Amino acid sequence: MTDVLLPLAVVVPIVAATLPLALGLRYDRVGWPIAAVGTTAVAGIAAAIAAEVVANGPFDHALGGFLPPVGIELVADRLTVAVLLLVAAVSVATLAFARVAGPRGNPFYSAYLLLVGGLVGMTLTGDLFNLFVFLEITGLTTYALIASDRSGASAYASLKYLVVGTVGASLYLLGVGYVFLATGTLNMLDVQAQIVAQAGYGDPLVRASYAFIVTGLALKIAIFPVHSWQPDAYQRAPDSVTTIVAALVSTTSAYALIRVTYTVFTVDFLAANEGIATALLVVSTVSIVAGSALAAMQSNLKRMFAYSSVAQFGMIGAAVALANETALLGGIVHLIGHGIMKFGLFLGIGLLALGYGTRQMEDLASAARAAPYTSGGVAVLGLALVGIPPSIGFLGKWYIGVGAVDAGLAGGGAVGIAVAAAIFVSTLFTLSYVARLLERFYFAGAGLPGDHGEVPGTGDDGGRGDDHAATDGGEASPAKTADGLPAPVEGAPRSSLVPDRVPTAPLLALGLAVLATVALGFGGFALAEWFDPFLTEAFA
Amino acid sequence: MTVPTSLLTAVPPYVLLAFAALAVLALPRRAGHAVAALATALTFVQAVLLGDGGTGAHLATTFLGFDVVFFNVDQFSLLMGVVVGFLATAAVLYAYGSEAPTWVTAFALLYVATTFGTIYAGDWLTLVFFWELTAVTSTLLVWQHGGEAVRAGYRYALFHGTGGTILLAAVVVHFVNAGTFLFSETAGIDPAATALAAVGIGINCGFIFLHSWLPDTYPRPHVAASVFLSVFTTKTAAYVMYRAFPEGGMWLAYLGGFMAVYGAFFALLQYDPRRLLSYHIQAQLGYMLAGFGLATAVGEFAVTGGFAHLFNNVLYKSLLFMAVGVVVYRTGVEDIRDMGGLWKVMPVTFLVYLVGAASITAVPGFNGFISKGMVLDSAHEVHNYILLLDSGLLWWLLVLGGVGTFMSFIKLGYYMFFHGSATLSPDDATPFQTAGMLLAAGACVFFGVFYTQLIELMPFTDLILSDEVYFKPYSQSHLIESAALLIAGFVGFFALKRPLGWLAHRMPDVDRVIFPAAFYLGRGSVWGVTELWAAVDRATMALAGATMRTASHPREALSRAGVDVEIRAGIGRSVLLLTLAAGVALFAFLLV
Repeated sequence: MTDVLLPLAVVVPIVAATLPLALGLRYDRVGWPIAAVGTTAVAGIAAAIAAEVVANGPFDHALGGFLPPVGIELVADRLTVAVLLLVAAVSVATLAFARVAGPRGNPFYSAYLLLVGGLVGMTLTGDLFNLFVFLEITGLTTYALIASDRSGASAYASLKYLVVGTVGASLYLLGVGYVFLATGTLNMLDVQAQIVAQAGYGDPLVRASYAFIVTGLALKIAIFPVHSWQPDAYQRAPDSVTTIVAALVSTTSAYALIRVTYTVFTVDFLAANEGIATALLVVSTVSIVAGSALAAMQSNLKRMFAYSSVAQFGMIGAAVALANETALLGGIVHLIGHGIMKFGLFLGIGLLALGYGTRQMEDLASAARAAPYTSGGVAVLGLALVGIPPSIGFLGKWYIGVGAVDAGLAGGGAVGIAVAAAIFVSTLFTLSYVARLLERFYFAGAGLPGDHGEVPGTGDDGGRGDDHAATDGGEASPAKTADGLPAPVEGAPRSSLVPDRVPTAPLLALGLAVLATVALGFGGFALAEWFDPFLTEAFA
Repeated sequence: MTVPTSLLTAVPPYVLLAFAALAVLALPRRAGHAVAALATALTFVQAVLLGDGGTGAHLATTFLGFDVVFFNVDQFSLLMGVVVGFLATAAVLYAYGSEAPTWVTAFALLYVATTFGTIYAGDWLTLVFFWELTAVTSTLLVWQHGGEAVRAGYRYALFHGTGGTILLAAVVVHFVNAGTFLFSETAGIDPAATALAAVGIGINCGFIFLHSWLPDTYPRPHVAASVFLSVFTTKTAAYVMYRAFPEGGMWLAYLGGFMAVYGAFFALLQYDPRRLLSYHIQAQLGYMLAGFGLATAVGEFAVTGGFAHLFNNVLYKSLLFMAVGVVVYRTGVEDIRDMGGLWKVMPVTFLVYLVGAASITAVPGFNGFISKGMVLDSAHEVHNYILLLDSGLLWWLLVLGGVGTFMSFIKLGYYMFFHGSATLSPDDATPFQTAGMLLAAGACVFFGVFYTQLIELMPFTDLILSDEVYFKPYSQSHLIESAALLIAGFVGFFALKRPLGWLAHRMPDVDRVIFPAAFYLGRGSVWGVTELWAAVDRATMALAGATMRTASHPREALSRAGVDVEIRAGIGRSVLLLTLAAGVALFAFLLV
């Protein structure tokens, strides 16, 4: 049974992806149930894989019986399992939101399942070229999903991502080609051995290969300055798509970066090429600061959190480049934590947009009075994103920061300290935009003297009128109730449990994300234990 | 009979009195006052018994890591303890007889308790602690009366809060230099803290220009409260002044001389009897400070004179406040021009007033004569700035103050008890008022006649009574001097009655300047701080707002600066960026 777990995890969603289209010929509205069953199955398989890894350690599967290094291999170890569980959980949870928020239609669910398949494949594969294939599957379905609400703005965002993303994937492929030339193999572990055996870490071919692969993945991760597709894509995509894309797509790409760097090229490669490590570190550090600063400048909520992701992935990139155990542990913890937090944040602001039509920062005045539970969840996740303990956001940043200081003290010199300083500066920026959010929620009361929650159409438009907001088709400010609270959108779903005008199931998912964020914050030691085998192997 | 010292010092008087204050509040009025009188009498007895070999630093311990002494008994604190305990007993009886509310008596007891704390403090830390508490309790005593006393009490609190803070600063400076808070056997406060200590204590002493709280506050509360207030704060301050400056100084002596003249002169202009007496507090403190100031220039004789005058002043000053208080209590009138002819209807009060007035004006046979004579004799030995009669400026100042004192008490007595026909016919003092007054009056006469008993209570007794020192109060020259003062007083009063009356309406005291100045200064500084804060706030908010606007509309900000470009990367520019990044990466990775 364990033998088929790994291929099943990939095959189930891909096969299921055909069903909504096929059955859609006969039945309407068949997509959601199929997607639900499919993703739930993936979640079950992921749980089984996790159990197997815990019980018996890492295991693999050679597809079609072709043994590596010729055949394609799927591998599960503890790092894989962590990302896989995140992918499975988020894809199930997002479905609850997609059911009410749309987009509707069977093709959407086909693309959704295909995206899940691509993400699972990227997570499990042990083959560099196969990684490219899944990267492309993920990318293509993402392009399609972003455009799935058929607005002009989202079509443009999708096209931008398509063009840029394709170039990025091509760069990655170029890198894989170089390393194939140098080693004659594509299996990750085999490449690791053959680089040493046939080429050496100083070989220009190997170095060039790493350069292309890192640039390609950096684009997919959206690290400054090759992030420019990402804010548009996140902002223009339908809310449910943003939720899953922001939580998973960049995350699996960053996972791929960790995998390629530490399993294929290994830490010795970084040690042998200090210039490469330093360059990656500098770019990541710039990304941390620039992303946070850009996020603090935004007034559109989704765009703000999109830039925030640029900063957070800068930290993960820095953790990779720092090449010490503490920093890498921090990078992995932050990878998982960021996935959970961004899932919750985009879900939360998506729910508010669904219920109250709020898209801009200033629309949220007094939102916490109208929707206390949703706002509360978003507030907690925002504080976790700042890095306030106890939360997984704190743990990740903390380990990366400690690792950076360690590296600085161990002889990395100014660069390590600069990373720590950048994390600190970024935390301040994060605090500034999260604090703005909290101020809107809880303090920008309607009807107070000097009230910030302006009555719509009173001229002074606050932070609105972002030049793109103007091209958004001039979204009008959402309506207010008589006492100045955000007014529910007509026909917005309501929950029987809470006063918030939001549907129950996604609100539960938000609650779970909040719980996970805080609960994992207490698990610093357990997380370190969990990832210890991988780290020991990487730094052997 | 000798009581063991350890038993006597087991309970400091301030603890006892604090409990007595609670008892006054808890018990019925009569029983409460009985307990209060017993407690104060006990503190008196305690001080008297401690005089028999009980000196030393008791209850010495460490507090907050500093060495402190909570019950320091030496000849100076003992004489203070004796007279404060005695007078407090008389004042409690008087308060009972004056229908003082129990809260007044309770606050007054707390006030006496903190005074005892200041007196028996053996170190500057304890002293300044009780000093501040005294300010608090006396303010409460004033405020309790309500009405006009509230605003005056507020000014009083401001004065004493300021003074206490300055004294605290002086004590801190002292500690930094001396390394300990404990009193030294020989030296006072550290020289570095001289100015701070002089001003801090000087506010309570009623230094000229720092005195305006005195006539402002003391006439306003309940008559019984005035009796308490009139003796403890100022006299304790004089005692602390000696603690701080045991070696004296001519500045202190001359300041004292000017205070005597200044206080007596302004007293002459008053028509509110308690206000008149309040100015005399300042004048009398002038004599004490003159005595202390001559400690080095003249010697222990002057110090003893100062302390004797302090001791006597407690007795006759409170006696005068009691007598005047009876008149105010019985008539409800607070302007002496509206009184008159009262000697017939209030003979007891009149007699008691006569004793008090004779004491303060230094009529032979009364205690003021002894101590004021000592101070004058000391001043006579100072030969700076010689004026008439081969006597210095200081002596003339003190004599002039004495004449002024005569004049003002002739005026006070004349207006209250004679002056025209009796329009009021109130009852005389109540029995308990009489009892309190007789206690104080008896002491005044006793120490005037049996003056060696007074010297026995004083420090440096052996020296004063030895043959080395010429101490004969009832010598011919003293009696002539006294008679001359008396005659000058009568002649002066009746000759200058009209001009003084004219002057009384036109002569402003410093409070005409100080009170508005403090008010507008306070208002101005509040306004200044508020406006400064508002300006900082506006600037910060403007900066934050500008940053926010620039950050959220970067393109508009750029175009305002003259740069009109699209800063958001489109598809083409994104690809360019990507290829550039790849190129840079290649270049860097391959060549570095």
